[in-house]
Amino acid sequence: MTQLPTPGAVPAEPPPAELPPTRTARPRWRETLGLLARNPTAAVSALVLIAIVLVAVFDETLAPDGPNEQDQSRALQAPSWGHPFGTDELSRDILSRVLLGAATSLRVGFLSVAFALVVGTLIGLLAGYYGRWVDDVLMRVMDMLFAFPAVLLAIAIVAVRGAGPTNAILAIGIVYVPIFARVTRASVLGVREEVYVRASRSVGASDLRLITRHVLPNAAPPIIVQTSISLAFAVLAEAALSFLGLGPQRPNPSWGLMLADSRGFIDQAWWYSVFPGLAIVLTVLCFNLLGDGLRDVLDPRQRTLMAGGGR
Amino acid sequence: MQQYFRWAGNALTGDLGVSFRSGETVTSQIAERLPATLTLAVAALVVALVIALPLGMLSALHPRSFVDRIATVVSQIGISVPDFWLSIMLILLFAGTLGWLPSGGYVPLTEDPLAWLQRLVLPAVATGVVSGSVITRFVRSSMLEALGSDHVRTAQAKGLPTRQVLGWHVLRNALLPLVTVTGVQLAYLLSGVVVVEIVFSWPGLGQLALQAVRDRDFPVLQGAVLLFALVFLVINLLVDLLYSRIDPRISRR
Repeated sequence: MTQLPTPGAVPAEPPPAELPPTRTARPRWRETLGLLARNPTAAVSALVLIAIVLVAVFDETLAPDGPNEQDQSRALQAPSWGHPFGTDELSRDILSRVLLGAATSLRVGFLSVAFALVVGTLIGLLAGYYGRWVDDVLMRVMDMLFAFPAVLLAIAIVAVRGAGPTNAILAIGIVYVPIFARVTRASVLGVREEVYVRASRSVGASDLRLITRHVLPNAAPPIIVQTSISLAFAVLAEAALSFLGLGPQRPNPSWGLMLADSRGFIDQAWWYSVFPGLAIVLTVLCFNLLGDGLRDVLDPRQRTLMAGGGR
Repeated sequence: MQQYFRWAGNALTGDLGVSFRSGETVTSQIAERLPATLTLAVAALVVALVIALPLGMLSALHPRSFVDRIATVVSQIGISVPDFWLSIMLILLFAGTLGWLPSGGYVPLTEDPLAWLQRLVLPAVATGVVSGSVITRFVRSSMLEALGSDHVRTAQAKGLPTRQVLGWHVLRNALLPLVTVTGVQLAYLLSGVVVVEIVFSWPGLGQLALQAVRDRDFPVLQGAVLLFALVFLVINLLVDLLYSRIDPRISRR
């Protein structure tokens, strides 16, 4: 073994002996889900998240009112049976807009993390697997990106490319690429020299086969954990960008935008700023708790390593 | 490309160009705003540590107790709350309902220390809570690790009084890595204040940067981003240097 143990190069757990090796991935999935179900916090978070996703998918059927339905007689009404979350300055039902905003937030969150996941994992895989100058070049570029504070980098990217949901996705995605690259690289370094990888190489398996069949599946647990945690931060970042007016534009329902609008009525309508914020907190909290639960199940040794990273 | 190198070359000498909008030099605009942002970030760090140190230590000393559970829940929520929403909630409560504090603005310390402090409290709390939550978790886990280590067990076995064991053997080891985390958090705080500054109309770099985005005033934005990155790097460097100072195991290498 030649590689030095870098911080975070925690070797991924080899698959348990009684299970057949990676070819049948199903049992491992089931095992993970079973363990997760026994962790009440994570299980509840997962259920709440599923509910939020369903809300986002069926938003138009669930919301009592359309996103921009107005009725001038009822501007800025306090919560009541007819409007549990009250109404805003344009008489729109806030509950409806919070429900409809879920789709916006989740879409930006999922797509940006998907981008960061694909690009970051690829970079981390290449850097960790090939090492040497590939590693040096890729990781130094990642360090450079990492030196910029996340929100500010996102703001700068949006500033150059113009405000809007697509650029917000891209901006948040780019910001989180280095974290995925680092996590993947560390995990790959641990797996690369495992006996089963070397055995496979010795019988002449190609790099591509080694990476896809052996390295990536066994390096995956920390990446999965990071995905859940990044989703939490991505939803926060989306909220911040749209709060600053750099994400989705009016009159689209978006939690961050609603909060920005509510500031003008802070003395008259507490409900206007409270409920969209609670929606953000609930979503982010569930992604965080699910991430913690996944880490306990998949990757117990890496607990404190990435705590707070990515803010 | 050529333009970029010219800009980078000038930046090295402290010349970041001229604002499209106001015609002032970017350097002077940034220098004008920097103290407010630094003040807020440091105040937020103080808030974070005031929350995190006692809470983290208490929950490490009594794992799985009531305090520990509360601390875990609070820090978990703290990490999940958007700082700008917390700002709005604080304004709603303390400036609106209770009417104890002003809802925003800035008064220089030299003019009116009390008014300065009154306007600093809410934004500092709003920014500090998130970092406080991160540091709480960290203090807890690093204290627990120190408490479980062999030399602590030895000290207890020797019959040293608990206070001495905690102060000398546990804290010293547990708080060492805290320097790193605090440094990193300070760097994050500096960027975290960007959004909070907007809510509290705090005249710092965040406001400057956002205004630059709205005006498409690229020299100012470029300067602000460069400065944040620079501060981030300098803080990391300082942390590393400080760390080798206080941890003899590292400096000897």
